[in-house]
Amino acid sequence: MSFSKIKRRDFLKIMGWGGVGATLVGCDLPTTVTLEEGKEKVVSYLMPEEYVIPGVGVWYASTCQQCPSGCGIHGRVREGRVLKLEGNPASSVNKGRLCQMGQASLQAHYNPDRISKPKIRRGSSLVDATWEEAYGLIAEKTANISGSKFAWMTGSISGHQSVLLQAYLESIGSGNHFVHETINNAVWAKVSQDMLGDSNPRIRLDKAQSVLSFGADFLGTWGSPLHFSTEYAKFRTSPRGILIQVEPNMTLTGANADLWVASRPGSEGALALGIANQLVSKHGLSMSGLPGSVQSLIRSYTLDETVTATGVDADRIADIATTLKRRSPSVVLAGASAQGHEHGYQCVAAAMVLNVILGNIGKTIESNGEFAYASMAPVSGNTQSLVSFSQAAADKRFDVAFFSGVNPVYTAPKSLGLKESLANIPFKVVFSHFNDETTAMADVVLPLASAEEDWGTHVAPYQAGVGEISIQQPLMEPLSTETRGFGDIVLTLLKKRKESAYEGFADYYAYLRNAFSTIPAEHKNGASDDQFWADVLAAGLIDVGVKEASLKVKGVEFDMPKEMGNSSAMVLAPSARLGFWDGRHANLPWLQEAPDQISKVVWDSWAELHPSTAKKIGVKEGDMVKIASASGEINVKVYIYKGVHPDVIAVPLGQGHDAGFSRYAKDRGVNSLSILDAKVDRMTGELALYSTNVKVTKAAKTDDVLVRFGGSETQVGRKLVSTIPADVYERTEGGDHVA
Amino acid sequence: MSVLQHLPLGRFIEAASRGSRQTKQTVQVSFIVMLLMAAMALFSANVNAEVPNAVPPEGTYSGIHVEQPIEFPHDTHADINEINCMYCHTYARRSKVAGIPPTSKCMGCHSVIATDKPRIQKLTEYWENKQPPLWNKVHDVPDFVHFTHEKHIKRFVIDNEDLEVENVSEVCAFCHGEVKKMTVADKVKPLTMGFCQRCHQANDGPSDCWHCHK
Repeated sequence: MSFSKIKRRDFLKIMGWGGVGATLVGCDLPTTVTLEEGKEKVVSYLMPEEYVIPGVGVWYASTCQQCPSGCGIHGRVREGRVLKLEGNPASSVNKGRLCQMGQASLQAHYNPDRISKPKIRRGSSLVDATWEEAYGLIAEKTANISGSKFAWMTGSISGHQSVLLQAYLESIGSGNHFVHETINNAVWAKVSQDMLGDSNPRIRLDKAQSVLSFGADFLGTWGSPLHFSTEYAKFRTSPRGILIQVEPNMTLTGANADLWVASRPGSEGALALGIANQLVSKHGLSMSGLPGSVQSLIRSYTLDETVTATGVDADRIADIATTLKRRSPSVVLAGASAQGHEHGYQCVAAAMVLNVILGNIGKTIESNGEFAYASMAPVSGNTQSLVSFSQAAADKRFDVAFFSGVNPVYTAPKSLGLKESLANIPFKVVFSHFNDETTAMADVVLPLASAEEDWGTHVAPYQAGVGEISIQQPLMEPLSTETRGFGDIVLTLLKKRKESAYEGFADYYAYLRNAFSTIPAEHKNGASDDQFWADVLAAGLIDVGVKEASLKVKGVEFDMPKEMGNSSAMVLAPSARLGFWDGRHANLPWLQEAPDQISKVVWDSWAELHPSTAKKIGVKEGDMVKIASASGEINVKVYIYKGVHPDVIAVPLGQGHDAGFSRYAKDRGVNSLSILDAKVDRMTGELALYSTNVKVTKAAKTDDVLVRFGGSETQVGRKLVSTIPADVYERTEGGDHVA
Repeated sequence: MSVLQHLPLGRFIEAASRGSRQTKQTVQVSFIVMLLMAAMALFSANVNAEVPNAVPPEGTYSGIHVEQPIEFPHDTHADINEINCMYCHTYARRSKVAGIPPTSKCMGCHSVIATDKPRIQKLTEYWENKQPPLWNKVHDVPDFVHFTHEKHIKRFVIDNEDLEVENVSEVCAFCHGEVKKMTVADKVKPLTMGFCQRCHQANDGPSDCWHCHK
């Protein structure tokens, strides 16, 4: 039988009649429509709370753990199950909003690949064990360890988890706390600290009339994306602010910009200095407050010099300077693609110099104040910690290492040799929700309770002038009896070390409850202890205020290497996305299924390539290319796109996980971090993520297709949006009308 | 004959499928049986006619008898002792599900009433073990159907000024039959889409697809 014999029209006719038949008969056929009676169980409550009604949701406040931003959330709980998350309107971080990563947190919680039992290495494999065995082994290995031989690598951490972790390090006498995040603002923080005296200044997008952003994807991955999205909305309302984005490949923020400028990676600093030169020489702004060497550096970046160094048109550079001057106050930001170079510090410093010249300090860049309780203050991660940990492991400096909230074997470029040097650490303990590249190297794996099952307190790293402690409370009973909360584990480890101060706390909840009893009375508003605790849990947070602080501009000298930005070699851009983040969320199907903001690709990796470069290499969309660096190579499908600099090939982060990670991330795409060179920013030691030169060649095509969700760049003659060239308009409609 | 002519088509199909399911009757049901059925339908319609401002849904079904962990006597509670359905199924007017009453509600009375009965002793055992009984579900609709008790109780009870709330069991009986004459509930209404549809048409209920399929 051949299907081609059925014409489309016949097919529809058959379907039509079939449909009618189904409605006539199907509606009353109990055998096909009704369910089997007595097969399912229905369980009543034993003794419900008065407000619990089966079928009606109750909302509880908690804190999102999907990225370090620390957004407040509300979780809808029905019949003991958490079903939906939304933003907590009371949180100053996200003001009731929640991003796709936050929504997908439920899929991390209910994930079928979660680890549900502790594991201990026996020979070459990890086998199930009991908690007592795991704790016993840890106690044995850490019993007589010298502090310098112990290390703990975590992701960004704050609140009482940070307090307990520091207590544990102190009990061992170790200061080796490595805080690692691939997506970070570490260079911006260092430059702000050096030039303004505050590592985390407040950015007033709401007050700014124009924003010049050097790769700061503040709507996607920079700082606190949800917070800046709401601030951005204010910035765009009347009078509408102007956004200029300079970056090697378009980010979500770049896609929203009024003017998008493609920059060759590494040329951002030169462009910033060139704009500074224009502001001083053409618009008469003052350079006072800047050191003499920086003043002469700015003078040297004349328009011609800047055009040579950056490849950006002279008119465009002049336009940007004019816009910033006219639309004052402005704010100049710098993010991942500006900081990811061996001279990353200088690029970010040049951007900050623009803020000084434009007089933004104190207007659109203010102090956030200082969080009152130093031991709970957020400790933000970076990549310098990854580099130094890799080095220390290679030098055989550690006997025991703990890992929590990080997957360094995935995020470390192969050139750092971390995976190999981990063999030098005899005993590795990994706290994790899932099997991943790092648990595969572990000697003990401790299964963590999910974010929806655990207690915690969090202090968001970026708060707009307030000092909120955000509460994380369980939204439901644990799905597995064998997982433990992070705080509970650290508390138990402390007790095993005979730390008498912690003996009185039955669990982490008791510890937190006590901590809130001892909070100064000024925060309790006269409420009784129990009432105060109930109020805090209901609100999800408490504002304990900040110490007032102000910014002081300090002269910081820096240079700018002239040869940067001239090379014609291709550069690999491992761009980050609000979605997979640094790869930690590739196991969540909702995020795999959500089309990428820029390329609309689903369930895959891709390489963004400029049409002119693609033509040179001889590839079209969906073709395979081989991207080879000095440190390795990856094969990936091409997405041809104008929003990328011709010298750049951008491969977004997130995919290319080892098979053990997840059934959903298995055999998908490539990890662009893996082939990066081990270059670092010379001033901060941060990994220079945007400075790896690569060779891109056409590779053999496979059967695999690049799956993109909709979208076409042509209108296929449908005139959905009519356009007319300006000169034709002037000639045919009359030039008088042109402003 | 005139009675038969007014029977909807659906009745025949139900009779046929019920027959093949339990008594192996063929589709050719005798004329007398048909007449009896029609009479029964009219009779039951008369019972339901106690609900003012409502046209009861038509259709019957004979479900299999489902054994329960405790043979709960609906008749003792709702008929002999005249306890209102909504006293125990308190969620019906507040939620999409009517809800099985919490064990604490049972124990509210049965810590003192009829404590010598074996069924109550079994219940007490559950209560003391802090385990609610695992009841077997009798009435259910597929996952793609969004049914809410709350809206139906609102239409036929709360907003129905002419209905004495003591008679709420007649409204429940639209879809659950005369549960107060049963011990554990049996399914006696088809709860098919056709059953819902005809009632929605007769009572001006919504007919958009998305009201139930969302």
